[in-house]
Amino acid sequence: MTPDFDIIIVGSGPSGVSAAFPLVNAGLRVLIVDGGKQPGVLPPEADFLSARINDTEQWKWMVGGDSHALKKRDAVSPKLRVPSHAYAFEEFEARNHVVGKNFITVGSLATGGLSNAWGCGVARFSAREIAAFPFPASDLDVSYAKVSQRIGISGRVDDDMSDYFGLDDYSQPPIPMDALHTRLSQRYLNHRKKLHAQGFRLGRSRVAVLSEDTASRQACNLSGNCLWGCRRHSMYSSTGDLPSLRKHENFSELSGFVVDGLTRYDGYWAVEGQTSSDGERRSITASRIVLAAGTLATTRIVLKTLNHRHPVPLLSCPTAAFMLWLPRLLGAPRMPGFGLGQLSFSLNLQDTITAFGSTFATTGIPLSEFVRHVPLRRRYGIDLLRELLSSCVVGNVFLPGHLTAAEAELQPDDSLSVTGKYCNAVVPLMDEAAKKLRKAYWSMGAVLLPGSFTIGPPGGDIHYAGTLPMRESPFIGETSQRGEVEGLDGIFVVDGACLPTLTEKSHTLTIMANADRIGRQLATVLAMESLHG
Amino acid sequence: MRVVVTGATGYIGSCLTCLASRRGHDVVIASRQRPSTFPASWLPFDLSSDNSIVFPINTNAVVHLAANTTYTNRLKNECELVAAQRLIKSSREVGAKFIFVSSQTARADAPTAYGRTKWHIEQEVLSAGGWVVRPGQVYGGELRGLFGMLVKTVQQLSILPAFVPTPKVQPIHVDDLAEGLLRIAERGDVPPGVYCLAAPEPISFSKFLDGIAKSRLRCWRGFVPVPVVIINALAAVLGEALRTRLGLERLRSLFDLPVMETASDLKRLGLTLRPLHSGMHPSGNDRRRCLLREGRALLIYVLKEPPGSAVLRRYICAIEQLRGGQALGLPRFFLGYPIFLSLLDKSVWASKTASAEFSWRLDTATMLAEATPTGAYRFLGLGHEHGVLSSLFSMTSAVACEVFWRMLRVIFFPLVRLALGRAKGAL
Repeated sequence: MTPDFDIIIVGSGPSGVSAAFPLVNAGLRVLIVDGGKQPGVLPPEADFLSARINDTEQWKWMVGGDSHALKKRDAVSPKLRVPSHAYAFEEFEARNHVVGKNFITVGSLATGGLSNAWGCGVARFSAREIAAFPFPASDLDVSYAKVSQRIGISGRVDDDMSDYFGLDDYSQPPIPMDALHTRLSQRYLNHRKKLHAQGFRLGRSRVAVLSEDTASRQACNLSGNCLWGCRRHSMYSSTGDLPSLRKHENFSELSGFVVDGLTRYDGYWAVEGQTSSDGERRSITASRIVLAAGTLATTRIVLKTLNHRHPVPLLSCPTAAFMLWLPRLLGAPRMPGFGLGQLSFSLNLQDTITAFGSTFATTGIPLSEFVRHVPLRRRYGIDLLRELLSSCVVGNVFLPGHLTAAEAELQPDDSLSVTGKYCNAVVPLMDEAAKKLRKAYWSMGAVLLPGSFTIGPPGGDIHYAGTLPMRESPFIGETSQRGEVEGLDGIFVVDGACLPTLTEKSHTLTIMANADRIGRQLATVLAMESLHG
Repeated sequence: MRVVVTGATGYIGSCLTCLASRRGHDVVIASRQRPSTFPASWLPFDLSSDNSIVFPINTNAVVHLAANTTYTNRLKNECELVAAQRLIKSSREVGAKFIFVSSQTARADAPTAYGRTKWHIEQEVLSAGGWVVRPGQVYGGELRGLFGMLVKTVQQLSILPAFVPTPKVQPIHVDDLAEGLLRIAERGDVPPGVYCLAAPEPISFSKFLDGIAKSRLRCWRGFVPVPVVIINALAAVLGEALRTRLGLERLRSLFDLPVMETASDLKRLGLTLRPLHSGMHPSGNDRRRCLLREGRALLIYVLKEPPGSAVLRRYICAIEQLRGGQALGLPRFFLGYPIFLSLLDKSVWASKTASAEFSWRLDTATMLAEATPTGAYRFLGLGHEHGVLSSLFSMTSAVACEVFWRMLRVIFFPLVRLALGRAKGAL
């Protein structure tokens, strides 16, 4: 029997489409399946400040007709409250049977996956960081270049973070900074030497957001709608890659199909699952399966197929958030501006650990997000923040993923249970980070507001990785350097699940590059196979 | 269940038939005219006609509501008794429960023919093993029956009589009564007998009228004392025909209402009656009105100005969708003077759940208020004067206000705690 397809890719997120391009370009018959969730609420049309002043229907995208933001009041990130992103996260845990115990589990059933609500942070892993990968660093170089050029990255500038990000060869110029970040950056340059001695480096954030138009997407116009959704598509989402894949006749798509199992037949595989539209069970066959459903969903599919019921380790970055106040800019009027990371820092802790973080403007974020944490009565909290926030920026901190002790385990009912907590080292590390950041930003004219430095809950980073790590000689529950699951020939993992390490850096670009690498290798293998009949 | 209802187009009957068909019962209407709107089966039935009535087979219950409420001549009252006897016989033939809706005035020696007739029918029903329901002062819903007349009277007169000594009534909302009747019809564990359905605690008739004015008509009415002796003297002089025409007959039966012991019957049916202020609201309850007041107070507190109606509606909608739709029951003082909500910080609440619920609602009001153009000005400081000095001043005054309210909170803590303890609502 001839299988329906050469390759079935499960998931149309960043890793799925990155693996799809080389396979489709090689002329293979490729099917992408995804959960098919589509946007329901549209983000504002005008820039954020104009929309806030003029749009009497703004509650629809700020709170949601179904009170989405109120339902998600206690969710870990403002992004999870945004009605226009609701579709990206909805039903993931229920349909994929993922249960977090004292651990935040977020995933996506949307076409385009989590990239629909992505912070767009990108970075390249250094040769030292790739040392843990079972292949030479150079294998990823071509992929980094290809993927970076495809998704569009901005932030190219010769600064102290150029080497850290390692992306300037493929980047567009940076998006203009706001007055607060401009000031921080100037003050940094004045105190550069001193700050370097403290282990602090600052530079422009490198983000997958366009500063120059491309054929299908427009450059950022500083509308300030980054949190709510960009109508210009300046921010990368893998949904935007699907039209170019669709131009190929050998590419097919099945949206609204949630895979819950894989079955091996003689010489090929079948993905099994349910269509969302009519609940019908379907089985589609291919000679190879590429799993790109997101770390948690992929892990469950693999463990279930292997019937592997021992816990596997999960990497996840400990996070914290803080707020900086620039007294010199007190009383500045609110200005529209870029809402994602504008400046990023790296900070050395305890000689061996590096923390990474970025700072953001507060204008595009609802004040309600902050006022809950202000120790004032609500009425006066609003009064205070209204004056204060225009001279504040918010920042985040990430620590390397091995500092979270988490694991995922397939339960008797075939659900995936995820548990975990931060390692004991995290609190002292975060204390040290807070202290060092306070000192560094103080010399840059900014006050790290007392009480604002808050450690996030485990899993809140939504950077999950490493459950099925690539190894030189993999054991059961691991993957080969080609991403192939040990014990399941023909099943490949291309998303975060196969990363052997998770650094403090944004990991999405590396996942995409690795998916491209695996895709290219797989295309070569299949081409050889067909040559040999 | 198949249930036949006589008087189905009347005040109580229409509520009962609606409720019964909503519950999925097969409702058969027995009335003089075929109802034009209600999609149910119909049996021709007239109290004053001699034709016998045949109920459909499989009829489980007959609720007899049809009554001559015009207080006219004795002949008609006798017709009623005969009609009831025929109905009892017909229902026995098909093996259906017979439920008769009587009156609080029913007694052998009632001052009115109406009350005496009801008593006679009750005796017939009880001896046939049927159920008798004596409702109290029925109110609420459509302006029909005695309630409709009272509402119209209160609407027309700016000064109302306060009878001395004051007669007492025991109200029951028409929907609660319909629920009670349906439970008797539906359930197999309710033994035959007399059931008195009304508020267990009688209230003065003047208070009832005042409830109509305040909650139903949202107006204020004055009361002038009128001694009952005068009405009785007048009635004696006028003779029965004129008494009836002037409505004095009805008034006299009001003065003579016996207090009914209802608590045990309500308990037996598992029926909880809505409070008068709630039932008097045209929608049948004042839940939304309470929510509206709460939303308005919270939004004013957050916005420092009265909210638009759209954002208020969204508040109500959110509480209904996500929190069960009941108001917290904040003391009235806070609803009238929202700035005093500053006194309600975490520690004043008696329980953690109460505190959490309040802060959930305050957050909701904050998020909803922010998502409006008014909120954009208030929260983003747009349209304000900008500059270091004005910002410093605003921030200092915010902190000063905070300090001020913290001090007030210490002083008023016991009082606020007490007031919150008495509040009735979702808390």
